[in-house]
Amino acid sequence: MKLAIVVQRYGAEINGGAELHARYIAEHLARHAEVRVLTTCARDYLTWRNEYPPGTDSVNGIAVERFQVEHERTDADFGLRSDHVFFRRHSLNDELEWLDSEGPATPSLVARLRRAATAFDHVLIFCARYYHAYYGARAVPERAVLVPTAERDPALGLAMFGPIFRGVRAIMYNSYEEQALIRAAASNAHVPGVVVGVGSDIPASIDPARARAKFALEGPYVVYVGRIDANKGCKELFEVFMSYVAERNDPPTLALIGNAVMELPNHPLIRHLGFLGDQDKFDVIAGAAALVMPSYYESLSMVALEAWALGTPVVANARCDVLLGQCLRSNAGLYYANAAEFGAVLDTVLDEPDVAARLGRNGRQFYEQNYSWPVIERKYLEMFALLSSAPPRHRMEKLPGWFRRRQRSLRPAAQVVDELPSGPVVESGGGPEDSAPEGAVA
Amino acid sequence: MATDHNQGRRGHFHRGRRGPDRRGPERRQGPPPQEQAARSERGDRVDVEQIMREIRSRIAQRTGVELSNQQIQELAARRLEAILDPRGLKPELLEQLRRSAGERTIAVDAAAPPASQSFPFDEATLYDSPNGLLRFIRRLLRPLLRMFFNPTPIAHALAQQSRMNTELAARELERDRRQAEWNALHYEILQRLAVEVSRASVDAQNLSLRVESLAAKLDFNERRVRTMEGTQVQTRSPRPPETGPTTQTVAAGAAPNETTPHQPPAAEGQSGDAPRRRRRRRRGRRGPLTGAPPEAGMSGPSTPINDVAPDIDEGDADTDEGFDDEVKAERVEHQEEVAASPSSSPAPEPAPEPVRAEDTSTHVPEE
Repeated sequence: MKLAIVVQRYGAEINGGAELHARYIAEHLARHAEVRVLTTCARDYLTWRNEYPPGTDSVNGIAVERFQVEHERTDADFGLRSDHVFFRRHSLNDELEWLDSEGPATPSLVARLRRAATAFDHVLIFCARYYHAYYGARAVPERAVLVPTAERDPALGLAMFGPIFRGVRAIMYNSYEEQALIRAAASNAHVPGVVVGVGSDIPASIDPARARAKFALEGPYVVYVGRIDANKGCKELFEVFMSYVAERNDPPTLALIGNAVMELPNHPLIRHLGFLGDQDKFDVIAGAAALVMPSYYESLSMVALEAWALGTPVVANARCDVLLGQCLRSNAGLYYANAAEFGAVLDTVLDEPDVAARLGRNGRQFYEQNYSWPVIERKYLEMFALLSSAPPRHRMEKLPGWFRRRQRSLRPAAQVVDELPSGPVVESGGGPEDSAPEGAVA
Repeated sequence: MATDHNQGRRGHFHRGRRGPDRRGPERRQGPPPQEQAARSERGDRVDVEQIMREIRSRIAQRTGVELSNQQIQELAARRLEAILDPRGLKPELLEQLRRSAGERTIAVDAAAPPASQSFPFDEATLYDSPNGLLRFIRRLLRPLLRMFFNPTPIAHALAQQSRMNTELAARELERDRRQAEWNALHYEILQRLAVEVSRASVDAQNLSLRVESLAAKLDFNERRVRTMEGTQVQTRSPRPPETGPTTQTVAAGAAPNETTPHQPPAAEGQSGDAPRRRRRRRRGRRGPLTGAPPEAGMSGPSTPINDVAPDIDEGDADTDEGFDDEVKAERVEHQEEVAASPSSSPAPEPAPEPVRAEDTSTHVPEE
């Protein structure tokens, strides 16, 4: 079996969520198939500046083909176009121009896909919202297996993505919430889909004491892992945490792992450990009382899964449907919707070690049942087998003609997304011990 | 893996950076023991939703009245009903206002002028007819008609009237539309105001509860401060020689009965002493510091100030536990004191006369 994986950036040092997801999938599927990655020369997702040399490369034993990005993203232009299509009545042409502005514009990659379509049995395309995914799916619809990594942001309400979600051969969702959202937005229930997600490569030896000694972490602490950004809910996290520690006698430390793109509050109990390697990161997570996830929008939080794999409970923002759904389905995480709940939840995790331990055990079980690599690989292979066993029963809708593309008949995308149903998907009321594993090929 | 951080945690309050007296009545407390016990009984199963329900009910208990948005909306709807009292308004107006937002478009559509009102009128219209032959004959006879009178001003006047009718209808339509929009806006504003007022009143209720609680706490703290000041004065005042051996107990345990020679020994007066002591301590807050010579507190050289520190610390640490906790602590303190008293006072004194409330100040130099 020959597989192509199409993703916007690829490299051992690239740690973006979807990119890391793609790399893990490529490396694990390489045990079952011949995998080739088609990607861009970009390293920075904000500018898409060409930094890697074009041509063939190899990353951790996986063949990689890199294509140059035609033009970099301009913030001003992209912002204006986003404002237009998200909040105003617009045309399909406006959306296509928005996509071109968002990037990474790589017609050469799309042309390569179109030329060599028959060379691959399946083409896994990551991140539905980018240029390469839209045109890549249109280039090889009968082989395209989409990994949308979609979240509840206005881009999902753009009309141009409807045909993509309805026209690809299959979709590998990250969560039930993502599946429900895309099905509501695109009415694509006829497209085979499965909730898969991604596993993680947990080091064999984890030693929280090592992290405590290395980073001088004393007493109980909670940890946040990811880009430290207001858009990720960090501003709100700092506020609720500071109000919490002001009231508690023996407050925990908040350890932050990741690059900061916002100003950090000057507080003795907020410790920025910087960007850490995997071993240190997992050591710190394993020693934490809880992993805090303040993000509002996630299609899948890999770090939450990693925390569960290590037996650490998760404290999630209740306004994030995906995280809330996972906490409920796993019975391994608590959630908060305001400062009072944040404090009470942390109190529970810190003051009731038996509850925290049980949450951690549930998390580990949830991870093993749903996100361990044998489970993930099996779901992908089952999907490929299903697709190979029957010809496609649906086709990609064609782009409308020149005039229709220019009709300003499309509603603002933000309005479309606002009207989509929200809330967590709770498959069964019980814990992982009596719930079916997440996802089954449908 | 993730549980070792809980080892060695302090099981009781200590003085943090902010000090105990600033923790306030809403200081976080762990879940009640019965909740923890219930969770333990459930064994290895843990239900996140159940935990969250318990957490939310705990928050609600701590913050007093806490309503969800839905409940506030319902409360606001009831308030709005009260504001829009149908007895004081025309019911039709009320209904119109209430429905104006939802039925605005329909009302405007219904008010659209009929097509005949916007019929164009000019000179040719006078001679027009759906019948072709008739139209032809009229055109033939038009010069003849013009010989009798001039129809042009008539046609002009009628055309102008038609145009005015159309404009008036459009203006009326626009006025209706604006009125409907204003109605909808007014109703929306009214509704939002009612919601905000409801929310504010709930907040005010919560705040008044907090103020009450803080006032009680403040009151209690004042009493404690005065009591401790009184205790300090007692320890500094000269004592009769026979009370000398008990001085250390007084300093450490803050037992004012042993500093006053008229108090009965604890072993004998155990049942009646505690209420009396409590009564005396409460009296301290009511009146100004009177009854003792002012120099008593300043010139007592016998006991170092450090000797009273344990008492102050202990009291301080209990300060936030609330009045009930304080009373309990006081009782325990008293019982311990009573239990210790036989050893510390080898020769029990005869029971003194009961102390009347108005005489208390003469026996207990609280000032």
